[in-house]
Amino acid sequence: MKTMKKGFMFNVSMVLLLGMMAGCSTNNNNPNVSPTGEATSKPAVTTTSPSTEKVKITYSMWGSEEEGKKTQEAADKFNASQNRIEVKVQAIPWENYMTKLNTQATAGQLPDTGILKEDGVIQWSSDGMLNDVSSMYTGSDSKPLDSLAYKYQGKTVAYAAANEILLLYYNKDMFDKAKVPYPPSALDKAWTWEEFVATAKKLTVDSNGKHPDEDGFKPQSIVQYGASVENLAWQLEAWALSNGGGFYSNDGTAVRIGEDASIEAIQKVADLYLKDHVAPLSVGQTDDGIQRTIIAGKVAMATNGAWNVGTSLNAAKDAGLKYGVAVLPYFKEKVTLNTGGANVVFSQTKHPKEAMEWLKWYTAEENNWGLISSGIWMPTLKKWYTDETLTHKWVDNPNFPPYNEYKSAVVDYAQSSAARPAAWFYTNHTTDFNTLLASTLGDVWTGKTSAKEAISKNLEALKAANKGQK
Amino acid sequence: METFNKPQQRRSRLHSNEASVAYICLIPAILGLIFLTYLPLLGVLGISMTNWTGLKKPEFIGFSNYITLFTTDPYMKDSILATLYFAFLSVAGSMIYSLFIAMLLNRKIPARGFFRAVFYVPFVLPAAAIYVGWSWLYEANFGFFNYLLSEIGLNKVLFIADSNYVVPSLSLISVWLSGNLIVIFLAGLQNVPSVYHEAAEMDGANGWNRFRHITLPCMTPIIFYNLLLSLIANLQVVTPALALTNGGPGNSSRFMTYLMYDQAFVNYKLGYACATTFIVFAILAAFTAVLFKTSKRWIYSEGDDDK
Repeated sequence: MKTMKKGFMFNVSMVLLLGMMAGCSTNNNNPNVSPTGEATSKPAVTTTSPSTEKVKITYSMWGSEEEGKKTQEAADKFNASQNRIEVKVQAIPWENYMTKLNTQATAGQLPDTGILKEDGVIQWSSDGMLNDVSSMYTGSDSKPLDSLAYKYQGKTVAYAAANEILLLYYNKDMFDKAKVPYPPSALDKAWTWEEFVATAKKLTVDSNGKHPDEDGFKPQSIVQYGASVENLAWQLEAWALSNGGGFYSNDGTAVRIGEDASIEAIQKVADLYLKDHVAPLSVGQTDDGIQRTIIAGKVAMATNGAWNVGTSLNAAKDAGLKYGVAVLPYFKEKVTLNTGGANVVFSQTKHPKEAMEWLKWYTAEENNWGLISSGIWMPTLKKWYTDETLTHKWVDNPNFPPYNEYKSAVVDYAQSSAARPAAWFYTNHTTDFNTLLASTLGDVWTGKTSAKEAISKNLEALKAANKGQK
Repeated sequence: METFNKPQQRRSRLHSNEASVAYICLIPAILGLIFLTYLPLLGVLGISMTNWTGLKKPEFIGFSNYITLFTTDPYMKDSILATLYFAFLSVAGSMIYSLFIAMLLNRKIPARGFFRAVFYVPFVLPAAAIYVGWSWLYEANFGFFNYLLSEIGLNKVLFIADSNYVVPSLSLISVWLSGNLIVIFLAGLQNVPSVYHEAAEMDGANGWNRFRHITLPCMTPIIFYNLLLSLIANLQVVTPALALTNGGPGNSSRFMTYLMYDQAFVNYKLGYACATTFIVFAILAAFTAVLFKTSKRWIYSEGDDDK
C-alpha cells in the first residue's frame, strides 16, 4: 500500500512534468490549431475534393483494448461502405480517459472526434475546444430526442451517444411476499411521494417482523428496507425539480439550490432513512446502488439509471432475480433526468464534416446494437421510441424486463414531458458543483445537520462553484 | 567525513581517485533525482503560479492560487485537519501496535515463524482487495461489525459513513497494515545486546524496568526510522479515501493527497492542484525537519553517530 502511494506521487509528478513540457511546446500557438501550424496554412480539406486519397479520422472512446477492437470492427464496416473517409479507433481506459484527452488537447494532438464525459462537454465548449454540430442531422429522417442535445450559448455542441433515464427498480419477490401491489409503470399513475413512503413502510421489517408505523418497531434492527433513493449529487436534481425547485436556472447560469423547494426535496430524501426508517443509510461513498439493494434482496425499491438493466440486472435475472421497472414517484411535478456521454467533434480537427458524417453513421443504433440490446444504452434517435416495430426490435429480448412494463416505464417515460436533460447538458462546472454539494450534504444523510442548515452555510461557495471559481 | 589519519598528500590522491569513481557511480542516481524529482518539483512550483487547466493557454497569476486556497477554498482547511488527525492516529497507533507485536514475536513462542508471517501478510496484500474487505466490515446497514453489534443488542455504529468515526476507522486499517514496521522493529529487537538484559535481571529489574531502561533506549534509532517512515506515508494518505469514502462524509476524509488528485484529475485545475501539492510538500518538509531537529535529544547512540 505504501509503495502504491509513492507510485502515485511519482506518477503525479511525472504527469505534471510531461504536461509542463507539452505545455511549453504549444505556448506560442493558438491551442485550437495543431502545433505545426498546418491548419492555418492550408484550407480545410472538404468532401468535394476530387482527390482519391481518403480523409483519415481518429475516433477516441473509453474502454479496454477489446472494446476498442469491437468499435474498430464497426468502423471497418463504415470504411468499407464508402471510399472517402477512413476511421481509426483509439481506445483509452475509462480511468485515464479525460486525463489523456486533456494532455492531447494541450499538445494540439486531439483526435478528430470522440466520446466525452457528460460533465466535460460544456467546459470544453466554453474553452473553444468543440465544434458546432447543429447541422449534423439536417435532412435526416430521424433526429435524436430533443433532451439529448448539449447546448452552449444556444448552439448544439454535441449529441449524446446514448440515452439514459432515472427509474424506480423493484424486487418482485419482495413485493409478492409482502402482498403489496407493484409500483406503477405508467406515468399517469405515478405515485406521489406520500404513496411511495407508505408502500416502503409496508416493505420495511425489523427483526421481530414489525413495520415502521407499528408499536415496538426497532429502527436499529431493520432486516429489510422498503426503498432507497440514490443520493449521488447529480441525481438529486430530479427531486429538487420535482418539488418545484431545482439546482440551476434554465440557462444554467444561476444557482437555485438555496430555494426552499429544493432544500425541502433533499431533506425528504434524507428523511427516508432518518425519520421514515424505510431506507438504508447511504452517504454517497459508493456507486453500486442496485447491487446493494435490489440484487442483494435487502431493499425492495431503488432508484437509479436505466443502464443498470444491462450492467448488472440482466446477469442477476439469469441467476433468478425477478425485478421490475417503474416510473419515479413525484412531489409536485413528474420528473426524471436523462443523460448520456457525448459524441463530440473537436475544434482541432481539419475534417469536421467527415467527422460528423462518421458520428452520424456510428450513432445510428444498428452500429451500437451490442450495447443497446444488452440494455446498457438506450437509443438516441426518436424513431425507436415512436415506431412500435422498432421498439419491439429493441426491447423484445430476454435481457429486458417484460415488454409492456419496460415500454411504459422506460420507452414512453423517456419521450414524455417528464424527461428533462441533466444539468450538464447546458451548465458549466457541474463537477465542481456536484463535488461541493456532495461534501455539503455529508452530515445531512446521518442527521447531524439539516439540509437547510448545510446548504445555507455553503450557498455562496456553491454559487462560486457554478461560476467556476473556488 | 574526515575519517583518514594519513599523510596529507597521499590522502588527497587517494581521495580524488575514490571521489571520481564515486561521482561516476552516482551519476545515474543523480540524473534520476534531477529529472524525476527536483525538476518536476520546480515545475510544480511554476505551474502552481498559473491558472492552467490543460485546455487553455496557462496565464501567470502569481500567488493567487495560494491565496484562494487559504481564503475561499471550501476544502483546504478541513483537508489539512483531516490529514493531520489521520496521521496522528495512524502513526501513534501503528508505532505502539507494531512495537508491541514485535516484542511478542521476539519471544520464544511456538510457531513463531508462522505468526511473524501472519502479521506481515496484510502489508503485502493488494490494496484494492483489502479495502473491499474492510468496506464489508464497516458497512453501515448490514456490515459484519454492525451485524455483531446488533447480535449482542447494541446500536449500530456508522463507521465510515459517520463524519466523527470515519478517520479513526480508516486509521485502524492503517494500523492493521503496518506489518513492515513490525519487521523492522523485530530486526531492531534482535540487536539489543542480551548481556544488558542478563545483567539487569541479575540486579533484580522487572520486565517493565528492563523495557523502559534497556529495550526502549536501544531501540530509539529504529523507532526514529519507523516514525519517519510512518509519518511520511500517513501524511500522504490517499488510498482509503479513493477506495472507501470519496473523501466523505462531508470533508471528513478529504485528505490532502486526495484533494490534490481531485483538483488535478477530476476538475482539471492543474495550476490549482500544483499549489495544493506544494503546500502538502511544505507540510511534509516541516514535519520531517521537526522530527530530525528533535531526534538528537531522544535518540540513544552507542559511540559515534551516523550522519
